[in-house]
Amino acid sequence: MMQFLASVENTRFSIWVRESSSLWAYPTILFMHTVGLGFLVGLNAAIDLRILGFARRMPLAPMERFFGIMWAAFWVNAVSGTMLLVADATTKLTNTVFYIKLGFIALGVVNMVLIRRRIFRDPALDVDARPIGRFGRLLAATSLVFWGGAITAGRLMAYFGPVSGAPGLQNRIP
Amino acid sequence: MSVVQAFSTWLHSTRLGWAVAGGVPWIWPLCETLHFMGLALLMGVVSVFDLRMLGMAKGLPLGPLQRLMPWAILGFVINLTTGFMFFAGDPFQYIHNVAFGMKLLFIGLAGVNVIVFYVSGLYRHVDNVGAGQDVPVAAKLIAAASLFLWVGVMYWGRMLPFIGNAF
Repeated sequence: MMQFLASVENTRFSIWVRESSSLWAYPTILFMHTVGLGFLVGLNAAIDLRILGFARRMPLAPMERFFGIMWAAFWVNAVSGTMLLVADATTKLTNTVFYIKLGFIALGVVNMVLIRRRIFRDPALDVDARPIGRFGRLLAATSLVFWGGAITAGRLMAYFGPVSGAPGLQNRIP
Repeated sequence: MSVVQAFSTWLHSTRLGWAVAGGVPWIWPLCETLHFMGLALLMGVVSVFDLRMLGMAKGLPLGPLQRLMPWAILGFVINLTTGFMFFAGDPFQYIHNVAFGMKLLFIGLAGVNVIVFYVSGLYRHVDNVGAGQDVPVAAKLIAAASLFLWVGVMYWGRMLPFIGNAF
């Protein structure tokens, strides 16, 4: 298994991502991953906050338009994340925190689909400006928890277990 | 010694500087995590507002949408605080860093952009823009500049270790 991960890490592409001094390699891929995070988690959070009752006088239905951007941001991060993963396969894929991060992302995505199906497809949505029901508010709360968990696990990958990253990237805690 | 250097030297010598620099080892990872949550909160709420002004999800009336703004401000305050703590922990990796200078510049320009939006009276006008209505072209320009500048702030933040020498 370790041999397979090492071979993934030693393809020409992986080496380029990890070791190229070009800003288009590791730095730009990491930047794309951050932009994707901002839009995917940020738009999810904005929708969650509205479901929880903030900006109550604003109808929720038009916010469904943002799902297109959220999915685009998800795919940007799936692709950029895979690139960062193959560059450091031996460390990331042997790090438990990475699997915790993937778990939170899976939960967050399922939660996002459920919010669209259960809340946005509800014919009673926005009727008489009534608040969202208890199950809908629960979905909004779990969405915030799952995405917060994904961010936390993603950050902590740099501190627990086998640590990876572009040369020059050091972590604070030895 | 310049004022910036004197300030940095002093800040680094405080208890806060000591704690963030590794004296209390969990502070740095915690601040990083909060910095990314603040980023998401700020980007999410600001982009809903900007994209609506640019014509997306026009069913959203802008007055009520402004009620989400405190959450963007909360995200900004979280990031200002945690950002200041990173600086206190290791000021010398930032003060000569081109990417750090550009990041501050972009944050400043984003601030000016917000001030123009309020002072010019566009804010009051936009506050009355209801569902299905368009905002004036000037407001669209402000919205486009806002998206560009905040994505730019993320770019320079990410480039701190690569263009400069910070992590």
